[in-house]
Amino acid sequence: MADQEGTTAEEVLLYLIAQLVEHPDQVELEIEESDTKLSLMAKVSSEDIGRVIGKRGRVANSIRTLVRAAAVKDGVEVEVDFSD
Amino acid sequence: MTEEINVVQQQEMVGEFLVGLAKSFGINGTAENVSADDDSFEVNLAGDDKELGLLIGPRGNHLVAIHEVSKTMLQRRQPGMNRARIRVDVGGYRSKRREALSAYVKELAQKVIESGVEKGLEPMNAADRKVVHDAANEVDGVGTISVGDEPRRRVVLVVASD
Repeated sequence: MADQEGTTAEEVLLYLIAQLVEHPDQVELEIEESDTKLSLMAKVSSEDIGRVIGKRGRVANSIRTLVRAAAVKDGVEVEVDFSD
Repeated sequence: MTEEINVVQQQEMVGEFLVGLAKSFGINGTAENVSADDDSFEVNLAGDDKELGLLIGPRGNHLVAIHEVSKTMLQRRQPGMNRARIRVDVGGYRSKRREALSAYVKELAQKVIESGVEKGLEPMNAADRKVVHDAANEVDGVGTISVGDEPRRRVVLVVASD
């Protein structure tokens, strides 16, 4: 898997955010990796943060659910956070 | 009025979104338009059942998340517009469940007719309750009432009064 660009978790997170935001050019992903755990911090523009989080965090939680599902393929645990 | 995006176009957008989402998981899928009318539509992501299981999740949990992000994606594309109700399915999971529930309700309806005794179903969400009402309505001599408050609202099959 050495030639793979990113983990499945990253791919899924980046895809979802790109589909949900108005300013995909302002999306940044910070990645912290250990042997068993992956921390993903997605930064989006302040205009987009509300949409990515959603009412009562519903959208953010849905994204987390899907990124965690993706991480099963990577064999790691993943933590996802959002900021602007 | 800005340009209206019709139901067929919304259905295509959601289909493309689902195929792209599957691809980001490394899963090949194709979008199937299950149904569409003036104010609602359903898209199914078809593919290899073993692979699609990951997108359905335990008790359909991942599918619920996919539904949520699909709705949000459409909202961004056409803010403030009258949107159709979206139904999203993966590998026919929802339609199989609907069919099974519908068959069960019809069986139960027969028992209500034979015994004359009403039968209550377990609490369900609004979409599943609609399946129950629709299935029971196809059986003569049985009616439905809904009792209780969300999230424990449930349907009771009763002997029709007419």
